[in-house]
Amino acid sequence: MKRYILITLILSFSVLTFAADKGKIEVPLRFDRYYNYDDVTTALKALNNAFPKLTTLEVVGQSEEGRNIYALTINNPETGNHLEKPGVYIDGNIHGNEIQAGEVCLYYANMLLSKYGENEKITKVVDKNAHYIIPVVNVDGRYHFFEDANTPDSNRSIRIPKDDDNDGLVDEDGYDDLDGDGNICQMRIKDPFGNYKTDPEDPRLMMRVRGEEKGEWTVLGLEGIDNDHDGRINEDSEGYLDPNRNWGFDWMPPYVQSGAGLYPMSGVGLKSIAKFIEARPNIIMGYAFHNNGGLWLRPPSSSDIRIDNRDIAVFDILGTNSEKIDPDYVYQPAYDLYPTYGDFDSYLYDIIGAYSFTGELFIEDHQTYRKDTKKPTPTLQDQSQGRRGTSQERNREVLDFNDHVALGELYKDWVPYHHPLYGDIEIGGWIKMSSRLPHPFMLTDLVHRAAAAVLFASENTPEVKMEVTETKDLGNGLKRVRVRLSNENALPSMTYQAITTKLHPKDILKVSGVKVVAGGTLTDQYMDKVNYKEYRPEIQFLSVPSYGKIDFQFIVEGKGQMQIEYTSQKAKDLKASVKL
Amino acid sequence: MRKKLTVFLTVLLSFLVLQGFNSYAQNKIAFTKYHNYSEVQDALKSLADANPAIAELHKIAVSPGGKEVTILEIGKNLKDKPAVFIGANFEGITPVSTEGALYLANLLLNSKENTENVKWFILPLPNPDASENYFSSVVYEKSTNDQKLNKDIDDQVDEDGFEDLNGDGFITQMRVKDPEGTYKISPNDPRIMVRADAGKGERGEYKIYIEGIDNDGDGVYNEDEPGGINVGINFPHLFDHKNKDAGIYAGITPESFAVMKFIYDHPEISMIETIGTSDFCIEPPKGGRRGGANMQSIKIPRRYATQFGADPDKTYTMDEIIEFVKPMVPEGMEVTASMIAGFLGLGAAVNPQDNDLKFYSKLSEDYKEYLKEKKFNTERLDPPRDKDGSFELWAYYQVGVPSFSMNLFTVPKVKEEKKEEEGLSLEEVEKMEVKEFIALGEEKITAFLKANKAPEQFSAKSIIDMMNSGRVTPKQMAGMMKNMPKPVKEGELSEKDKSLLAYIDKDLGGKGFAAWEKYQHPTLGEVEIGGYLPFLESTPPASMIDSLCSVQIPWLIKLSEKLPEIKILDEKITDMGSGIWKLELFVENKGYLPYPTSMGERNSQPASVIVLLEGKDLEFLEGYSRTPLGSIGGNQVKRLTWIIKAGKTSSITAKIESKNVGSDVKQIKIGG
Repeated sequence: MKRYILITLILSFSVLTFAADKGKIEVPLRFDRYYNYDDVTTALKALNNAFPKLTTLEVVGQSEEGRNIYALTINNPETGNHLEKPGVYIDGNIHGNEIQAGEVCLYYANMLLSKYGENEKITKVVDKNAHYIIPVVNVDGRYHFFEDANTPDSNRSIRIPKDDDNDGLVDEDGYDDLDGDGNICQMRIKDPFGNYKTDPEDPRLMMRVRGEEKGEWTVLGLEGIDNDHDGRINEDSEGYLDPNRNWGFDWMPPYVQSGAGLYPMSGVGLKSIAKFIEARPNIIMGYAFHNNGGLWLRPPSSSDIRIDNRDIAVFDILGTNSEKIDPDYVYQPAYDLYPTYGDFDSYLYDIIGAYSFTGELFIEDHQTYRKDTKKPTPTLQDQSQGRRGTSQERNREVLDFNDHVALGELYKDWVPYHHPLYGDIEIGGWIKMSSRLPHPFMLTDLVHRAAAAVLFASENTPEVKMEVTETKDLGNGLKRVRVRLSNENALPSMTYQAITTKLHPKDILKVSGVKVVAGGTLTDQYMDKVNYKEYRPEIQFLSVPSYGKIDFQFIVEGKGQMQIEYTSQKAKDLKASVKL
Repeated sequence: MRKKLTVFLTVLLSFLVLQGFNSYAQNKIAFTKYHNYSEVQDALKSLADANPAIAELHKIAVSPGGKEVTILEIGKNLKDKPAVFIGANFEGITPVSTEGALYLANLLLNSKENTENVKWFILPLPNPDASENYFSSVVYEKSTNDQKLNKDIDDQVDEDGFEDLNGDGFITQMRVKDPEGTYKISPNDPRIMVRADAGKGERGEYKIYIEGIDNDGDGVYNEDEPGGINVGINFPHLFDHKNKDAGIYAGITPESFAVMKFIYDHPEISMIETIGTSDFCIEPPKGGRRGGANMQSIKIPRRYATQFGADPDKTYTMDEIIEFVKPMVPEGMEVTASMIAGFLGLGAAVNPQDNDLKFYSKLSEDYKEYLKEKKFNTERLDPPRDKDGSFELWAYYQVGVPSFSMNLFTVPKVKEEKKEEEGLSLEEVEKMEVKEFIALGEEKITAFLKANKAPEQFSAKSIIDMMNSGRVTPKQMAGMMKNMPKPVKEGELSEKDKSLLAYIDKDLGGKGFAAWEKYQHPTLGEVEIGGYLPFLESTPPASMIDSLCSVQIPWLIKLSEKLPEIKILDEKITDMGSGIWKLELFVENKGYLPYPTSMGERNSQPASVIVLLEGKDLEFLEGYSRTPLGSIGGNQVKRLTWIIKAGKTSSITAKIESKNVGSDVKQIKIGG
């Protein structure tokens, strides 16, 4: 054990992360770098200090390890209280290793604030919407991803210890950074009976042996030792509780879906975020960012659940736009990737009544080094030894990309190491900041395109207009008043699903100042067809559709000012008055 | 000398008595009345204060109505002992169950023997907002807490509740003559309203409403009663998100969330008992729910079937699939049904596991025998069945411990004259094999279906077809039929109405029913207000509390004696030469109940018992220092083996490590 500490000390000076030495954090923020947990906090405070009027920075709650979870609210108080406006919620990094999701949130905030008053589109959404931004949901995860040695895939969990190997001990056999380089890489051992041989084209790569070819290597797995002496290596690392399986809607216990947590909302940080969201019923649009794969996922997350077709039409408008922003990204229902229960996206849609997307950022194939821009075709039965069954040709290309484009920062060549169990082995491979994360030079492009997709959705939150289209004297002191509520944007004033499930009250149109004899929805303005409401005609319940309108007709008695009020949980409230 | 000894003994005895008095004070709660929220809190506090050495209160949550949710722990002095969690009155409409919980606490604190080996957590009022309605000046049954909720999703919240229009202190019903009415007065008893049977050309005369006015003028009566979430159905097993009273997701209200957290924070809890509406003590948890995977008939998705060498169009039993998978995993790795179910995405279990029904049935028989010995009347209306999202279902399916529920009171059933030649009962059919049932022949099956009012689309022929093709078993069919409303005999009151009226007339001296009386309603005009009083079905007169509890509650303690208890029974050391030894350890479950339950095995919760071997210079050639015991049946012995290298004179410490089935340590000398 002592030996590891010594090696760690020696190597800690050469630790390879992109967070170090990044200069001062100033507004406008830079996005050619990654922010560790403390940097994110500093960046949020910098934005808040630079734009005190437009922003509120609050601590939503604490994580399992006591770190603060921050929410930045962007709202222009001159155009109204945030709760009055359609709310747009954006978060990221619910999985501890999915770092760039946090940068997207910071970028979006930085973009809205630094271009406010200069760019017309941005000024408009800042004035008409309330934005709630939680850049890092899994704060412990982000902290440990930077601080500890990791693989690109490790450290997703929130920090609730779990006994993964059923030996009565928790989290006692995680990975070990044997060479002390801050990364968990691969271990391999020379073995004439091994399944792999050295790739003749690039000696850093291996490929499967075929037929009578002689083996050279056995891949031993990820860096580690058998800490608990049970004959297995790395089988009980931190967690595992998947913070994106622990939300209340359609939650299923761990035996149905591993990582669910023992009961819904058992994550303390998640629960505090739920409280924050549930106190903002105006949220109608939501984005949760992850990596990777290049996907825009919409509800439902399980094929057992049906959602309203009219909502799918709305999702399609936003999803199709997002796909065009980066044509390699695919828009699809979440269950097409794989079914999940208790995921955050469904929580936003089914519990909060918001149109919600999961953005799976980054496509590994964007790491190219070639003349021909055609995609390589991965061949099945390939001899490759890479991530996710990519072809050997592609593995070589990514390594070339590393060498010639990414300054050799993503890959560590094999180095000898003396393992306590295996003896002489070699350690090497892709570092934690590779594979699922774009190299910093690609980050600006990625965060901007994702932010552009969010901006389009914000622009399309409902903007309801109310007009009195007609007042007509019917004689006998009666007047006919027609009121139209219209919306030129893609999002209706509430989700159709929320109407079906009676999730929250519909919008209300209320007439006062005169006696309403009859009132109801005008379904045909020429034939004067009205669905009159039998009780309380002065109060009408409605929703304003996507790209559409709804008309009301009131038969009223009396003179003077007729007041008309429109109130909505999601859209902005309106008032009008007519002199009769 | 002799005198001195006597003095000494007297001093010693009085010291012991005093000690005993300190830790086991004679606690007195009078069970002659129902205790409201503050009285329950006081009672809990006085019990805890009187027994500071062993008892402690845990305030786990505050309800939306500002009331504390409090657990009394008895046995805080105990280490490494299993615990039983008792929750009562989750729905807030069975005040007698809260009394039952207090009765149990009192009983435990007055007798040393049941608090030495088992720790108890007692929660008498998990839904304090709802349970307080019984004590309010206007009594009505309501299970929801004080969370503000706009149930009619209009422009106001909690604005259209019930009103005690006739001022009798109860919310009952209103009947009003209406040409569209679907009810008529029963020809058998003028107190009872029955639905007019349009099929027989009958026409209804009355509409029925709950007592109240249309406060918000929307044409609907009492549709937005103050109140939010029914804590009793806010748990995550089969949580019904379509039921507005259940809340929008499981655990959204602080009471149920805190209960879940408390239970998982106390892994020593190895049994959960619920006092309330359902009764698993009398009748094992019911099956017959659709949607759960049938472990005897599993289809393997194509992508896995090819890997297993199985046919994706065929169905397999769980045991067969385990055999497929065994050669594919590393040697020595145990392939469990739980692992396969998770891997194949078989979803949540919705019906009790067959092996668990064995102990439920046996203990139910024992309980009935026990009640018979106590001359306790068991001829009573059936307790309501467990509800989706209930605490007791969650305890069984998700916490994975034996979950027993007990209903302390339902109204006595009227004795019916023995019916002539009844035909097959549901219980008899439930026990039949498919072949046996089909062998009855169409005629008998038709008679059975008719007698039990099966829906018309189910003919004997269609049932036989379904059974032949394996779509349904007699057990599943009987299970479904049991969940249907009891058939009513033509021209008679239902069994329930008959029993309730007899109970009112004989036992309550006519109280329990508000006679229909005229009332001028502001919008409905002339109505009559009357009907069964709230809490009639579930809540006996306070004078009965003591006798009901004194017989039934001790059974909950008896159940705790069935807990699994895991010990090292024996060991065997075989000398294999050259300092190599084979160690065999025989681990026994001394309790009646298995560990874990079959459901607990399926869901890998609670944690396995660990057998730990430690010793100086001990080297494992086969096996490891920490070995999960896996499942072990009640009164069963399991053998574990290791091959070790150790010196002849060294000794091994073998430990049973568990949070909830006790502990054990044994020193084993190598070489005897």
